[in-house]
Amino acid sequence: MSEQNTQVQLPPGRSAPPARRELVRALPWLLPALTLILTIVLFPAAYMVWTSSRDVSQAGVDRGSAGLDNFVALLNFPALGRVFTNTIIWVVGVVLVTLLISLALAQLLNQAFPGRRLVRLAVIVPWAASVVMTSTVFYYALDPFYGVFNQFLVDLGILDAGFGFTRRPVPAFVVSMVVAVFVSLPFTTYTILAGLQTVPDDIVEAARMDGAGPGRIYRRIVLPILRPAIAVAVLINIINVFNSLPILRTMTGSIPGYDADTTTTLIFKYVQQDRQVDLASALSVVNFLIVLAVIGIYLAALRPMRDE
Amino acid sequence: MVTTTPETTGRRAGASAADAHRGFRPRSRHGRRWTRTTAGVVVALVFLAPYLVMLIGSVKRHAEILRIPPTYLPTEWIPSNYLTMWSTPEAPLPYNLASTLIISLCGTVLVLAVALPAAYYTAKHPFPGRAVFLLLVLATQMLQPTVLAPGLFRQFLALGIDDTWLAMILVNAAFNLSFAVWIMHSFFAGLPKEIDEAALVDGASKLQTLRHVTLPLVWPGIVTAIIFTFIACWNEFAASLVILTTAENQPLSVAITKFVGQYDSAWHYVFAVSIVSIVPVVILFALVEKRLVAGLTAGAVK
Amino acid sequence: MKRFLRWSAAFVIASLTLTACGFGGGDNASGNSRKLSLLVPSYSNGTKALWEGIIADFQAKHSDITVNLEIQSWDNINDVIRTKVQAKATPDILNIDAFSGFASDDLLYPAADVVSPDTLADFQDSFAKNASIDGTMYGLPMIASARTLFYNQELLDKAGVTKPPATWQELYDAAQKIKNLNSGVYGYGMPLGSEEAQAETSIWIFGNGGSWHEGDKITVDNPRNVEAVQFMKRMIDAGLTQPDPGASDRTPMLDVFIQGKIAMAVGLPPTVGQIAQKNPQLKYGTAPIPSKDGQPMTLGVADHLMAFKNDGSKQEAVKAFLDYFFSAEVYRKFVDTEGFLPTTKSGAQALKDKKEIASFLEVLPGARFYPSTNPRWAATQGALQGQIGQIGQGKQPKAVLAGIQAKADA
Repeated sequence: MSEQNTQVQLPPGRSAPPARRELVRALPWLLPALTLILTIVLFPAAYMVWTSSRDVSQAGVDRGSAGLDNFVALLNFPALGRVFTNTIIWVVGVVLVTLLISLALAQLLNQAFPGRRLVRLAVIVPWAASVVMTSTVFYYALDPFYGVFNQFLVDLGILDAGFGFTRRPVPAFVVSMVVAVFVSLPFTTYTILAGLQTVPDDIVEAARMDGAGPGRIYRRIVLPILRPAIAVAVLINIINVFNSLPILRTMTGSIPGYDADTTTTLIFKYVQQDRQVDLASALSVVNFLIVLAVIGIYLAALRPMRDE
Repeated sequence: MVTTTPETTGRRAGASAADAHRGFRPRSRHGRRWTRTTAGVVVALVFLAPYLVMLIGSVKRHAEILRIPPTYLPTEWIPSNYLTMWSTPEAPLPYNLASTLIISLCGTVLVLAVALPAAYYTAKHPFPGRAVFLLLVLATQMLQPTVLAPGLFRQFLALGIDDTWLAMILVNAAFNLSFAVWIMHSFFAGLPKEIDEAALVDGASKLQTLRHVTLPLVWPGIVTAIIFTFIACWNEFAASLVILTTAENQPLSVAITKFVGQYDSAWHYVFAVSIVSIVPVVILFALVEKRLVAGLTAGAVK
Repeated sequence: MKRFLRWSAAFVIASLTLTACGFGGGDNASGNSRKLSLLVPSYSNGTKALWEGIIADFQAKHSDITVNLEIQSWDNINDVIRTKVQAKATPDILNIDAFSGFASDDLLYPAADVVSPDTLADFQDSFAKNASIDGTMYGLPMIASARTLFYNQELLDKAGVTKPPATWQELYDAAQKIKNLNSGVYGYGMPLGSEEAQAETSIWIFGNGGSWHEGDKITVDNPRNVEAVQFMKRMIDAGLTQPDPGASDRTPMLDVFIQGKIAMAVGLPPTVGQIAQKNPQLKYGTAPIPSKDGQPMTLGVADHLMAFKNDGSKQEAVKAFLDYFFSAEVYRKFVDTEGFLPTTKSGAQALKDKKEIASFLEVLPGARFYPSTNPRWAATQGALQGQIGQIGQGKQPKAVLAGIQAKADA
């Protein structure tokens, strides 16, 4: 469309601001997405913010304005420090480990070997399964009494008796992180694998001819080409892991106290146990602002948007 | 100049690299293949282990699933769980499966239709507000579904489309839009500028370039986005739970919770339904996997 | 430009297809005074069929009324109903455990407005009282359950315990003897995980003459309660319970009991059926729950039906349905099939010879209830579920109860 623009050229310096023209040109491409977001997402998001400033009864009836009371109550919550620490460990740990394993896994899946297609299909399965079900089956298999994984460890002689992996805050939190990595691997691996397809063989070839070792080729040629894929995979993982509820809810759900909670599961506990939707909304608003800030910093630092 | 059969080119390039390799170290090639296959088997086992537990549980008798000590294999195989589960008193599963399929397929198509133009344009054309747009799109992902569900329910109630597939298609599309845009954006952005420029110089219009040149080259990205969106729609739970009230309209993710009772749960059905709900996604993946892997090769851009 | 139009056309066609996709959904009943919506939890895998049968029979009798049934799992029903309340789209009739939150927000019809005087008079007095706030009854007690001690006869025999324990000390000693067997079984199953920790804790504090409330005030942190929880902690610290009691949920704990690995645990009516289904060989007995001084005591719990006022146009239809549900034969069948205890006088009469529930009916008259009509109870219960298990992780009873008290007062 733009190149067919037959607008009369105005003398330079007196034209309509080019910025606005560019924006107008961009609109038809963006409008469908914008429409969908504005019509579907805007109201519930605004409703969440609204609820965070209301006094909502346990049954769900709005009893009037609460000002900032919910946020004050949040700040006075005694376990908040522990919950924030957990959240940082959770996000950083899961995302980093996922990335490292995925890089190796993608490398393996990019090599030719018999049965590769089947292995690739196997790797996709945790992604295809719902996270709730994956967590549930892990929880079941790790049960100290009737869990198969526990029994396996006992039969191997590693454990004397079933261990309550999901019964104590720290082991349960660690196991949850393992599950979180497990379910994040397929997507991350595939994004990187797709990125690996864009690595030109002849450049790698040329480098090899020049005597560069595999490590050097990987660092100097492959990684830079993977950068956009990695940047997006990490970005999506940060958001997903930060907002992940089902894993911790399932694996640590029966554990009392807040020693294994992140801000996301705390939101859930405010709703489920304390029946305080207003407080939960306030924490969601805080949660949202934190993710937004983290992502903002991430984008500013890495610039995966490629402003050329 | 531009070939659209990257597959063959890629394979040839890969083969030549391997040939060159063999020239240096003739023996190790076979050994490496072996190591890789072994590693592949280990990887596959690790990734499948929990689902094997699920699969085995799904053919156990109800009472055996919670036996202490647990049995690795069923003492009595009940494959008929996969038949009986379709007509249980708890959930109308055939309808639930149909609902899930329709919602996910329509949702994915809608996402693609909406996200593709946005991803392309933002990657290829700088304009003021581009960063704001991308961040706005991303922000939709940062909201908690649990807390959004009340607002969504209220909104669709007001629109008169609560308890409809349309509502869930819109919800799924709106909330999965962002990752699709971002994934495809990164692939468009990764394309060398020369491709577009070459095509434009040849006199092709922007849309022609997009359709005939750019799209085939970013297939891996599009396929990743499709899979990502489809799976997200397939497993969506929080919004369906409150928006879809009729049992027949609900997706599998909600239906499965009906097997979890107050004092006892039909774990064999929970596991069987889970297995059944994994299969279509794996099939979808098996179909598009080649596309994903073939993708762009440098050979195509000379 | 032409191409752009072509793409736009493709987009429009795609959206039309999508819109068409959306017409598959059902339509929502609202407004019509003869259309009732009913939201219920799933008690068992027979619940849905049971309700569908009742509704079909009811509609056959009242051809002008239609009832739309929505069933949710216990895990989800609270989220669903809260969302509906927030959106002012509540069902006409709801079945759930606690009604007081809805009543105190003035959302419910008083019971007298939605059932006939005969139906109302048929409720057993203790349940009717427990369903009333300031003398007005809002909830319709629908089913009840009570707890009793289940014990594994073989294990007690093996350990040389001759009769089931009646006092805390006897329970302690019996559990110690089981522990001394050293055969990988546990003395007492104590489920303090978030699922039902409030029930287990209530059993202990009621067994010590304690209480969760004093008049209108929730009193979690009082001397008798602290003493009871201290004894619980003694049991845990002495290793007389299953491992990690603080994070054991009730259902899985009972599964371990059913598999013969726990000697004694508090169970409820459906436990009988589960043993029959999962491990019929188990030799077990039931006995009153041990208390500090041996005085028999149990925890009673009732679930309720309640009618939402909404726009006030459906009172007659609601009344017709609820009277039908509580009519002798329909009600008996419901309670009997689900395996719970009846809350009506006629129901109790009809089921008095059912042997699976005989031991529960026996203890029911002395049952104590949660203070569920107190508007702060829901928060207290949530806090109990989420916090009390910490005594199994080394925290002191007094401190844990004080923490729960703080949440109750918040």
